[in-house]
Amino acid sequence: MTKYLIDNGYLDGLVRGFKTELLTAADYANLTQCESVDDMKVHLLNTGYGALLQDAPSPITAETLAEICTSQMVEQFKYIKFHGYEPLVTFCNYITYGYMIDNIILILGETLRGGDPQHALTKCHPLGVFEGLTALCVATSPAELFQLALVNTPLAKYFGACLTVEDLDEVHVEIIRNMLYKEYLYDFYKFAQSLGDETAEEMDTLLKFEADRRAINITVNSWKTSLSKDDRAKLYPCLGELWPEATSRLQIVDDMEGLRNAIDHIDEYREMLQVLQENPQKTLEEVFIEHEIHLNKLALSRCCQYSTFYAYFRLKEQEIRNIVWIAECIAQKKKDKVNQFIMI
Amino acid sequence: MSIVVSDICPTYTTFFGFMGAACSIIFANFGSCYGTAKAGVGVMVMGVLHPQLIVKSTIPTIMAGILGIYGLIASIIIAMGIGNEYPLYVSFAHLSGGLCVGFSSLAAGICIGIVGDAGVRANARQPKLYVGMLLVLIFGEALALYGLIVGLIISMKGQNMKCTSA
Repeated sequence: MTKYLIDNGYLDGLVRGFKTELLTAADYANLTQCESVDDMKVHLLNTGYGALLQDAPSPITAETLAEICTSQMVEQFKYIKFHGYEPLVTFCNYITYGYMIDNIILILGETLRGGDPQHALTKCHPLGVFEGLTALCVATSPAELFQLALVNTPLAKYFGACLTVEDLDEVHVEIIRNMLYKEYLYDFYKFAQSLGDETAEEMDTLLKFEADRRAINITVNSWKTSLSKDDRAKLYPCLGELWPEATSRLQIVDDMEGLRNAIDHIDEYREMLQVLQENPQKTLEEVFIEHEIHLNKLALSRCCQYSTFYAYFRLKEQEIRNIVWIAECIAQKKKDKVNQFIMI
Repeated sequence: MSIVVSDICPTYTTFFGFMGAACSIIFANFGSCYGTAKAGVGVMVMGVLHPQLIVKSTIPTIMAGILGIYGLIASIIIAMGIGNEYPLYVSFAHLSGGLCVGFSSLAAGICIGIVGDAGVRANARQPKLYVGMLLVLIFGEALALYGLIVGLIISMKGQNMKCTSA
């Protein structure tokens, strides 16, 4: 504990300070009642985003607002990486790998649909930008993808299983995403275990939920595609409460009833599916996000461990998604849907 | 000039005296080194983006350097007190005084290093923290001062003791 505080005490305190600047229920109430995105900007000037929003152009669009809010998160992340010692810097790098995987799949998908790769580059998340990203635009097979873009990046070691995928089309791009993410989650889990007891415990909870969430999402999404049962099994992450017995049952499941039976033995997931049954207008994703926010807040309440940083950036990301949702609803005049965000 | 040896001045008394002088400067320098290193790294990292704050931020480094001076003072006073007639009483007093100053300065050095590191980085982000950082640093430095005062009082004891009972 003392070693953690000596090395990271300042940054830990700083992140907890950032957390107090997150938007509250009162802020969200003000934002949802805004008539236009400009009104939202005026409300946000009083919050932590104020410094960056002061120079923003006046008839502001939802995309610009999203960019400015994301740039604040990126600035905070880069500050922490700049001032951190090992192993915090490696921990921050692991957080960026998730965004890198999303960016790679975004560019690949855009290229396959025949869209403009440069436009896709502007939509990439800034935390996941790396040098080889632009070279992805010309890849036509996974092996080429690896050679061109990924061989010098830290993601190279996650690519082993993906080389067996035959060609790159829409479905296979999703398969590559899930394979990369599976390897990344396991690697992150092993790294977190080496960081000391308290970090190991908290990251264990957070990453296991992430793995289970992926497993359930893979199962649900594969009902709509022609993914074979064996292929589905290869995509389940190798950690989590559901692994290995429940994932072997999930492998053969074909509908919600089967899903419910397969994960019945874990109280939290049974309750989540019950909430879904009682509120049919909620989606599975919303229930998962609510639980994730709950777990992240618990991680932040514990002191002297590295999951503070991970949990804070997840909460910040969710807040930015909320702001973007509200801005889009207001911009498109769909005010009835404006309350469908998940409060932190 | 010959060394007087008797029951209250055995031949090995000088070991303790010199050890006291050595410990004082050695551990004080350890403390000063840790303080300077840790706070110095903070200044370097912070100074890249805020060069105008660099000179103000060398305060922790200076306060860590003072700890070496405390050790030096105590070592010199102890070394000057070691003479030909050196009762065991006086040599133990010198050992004790040297250890007091040495370990207190080591503790203060660790404190100043950690606080100085976090303080200069936080000061770059929030300039109003400067006074707070100085207050905490001063409380840390006070530990070494207490050690120096106690060490000097103890080291000065028994200065005119003689080796023979006559």
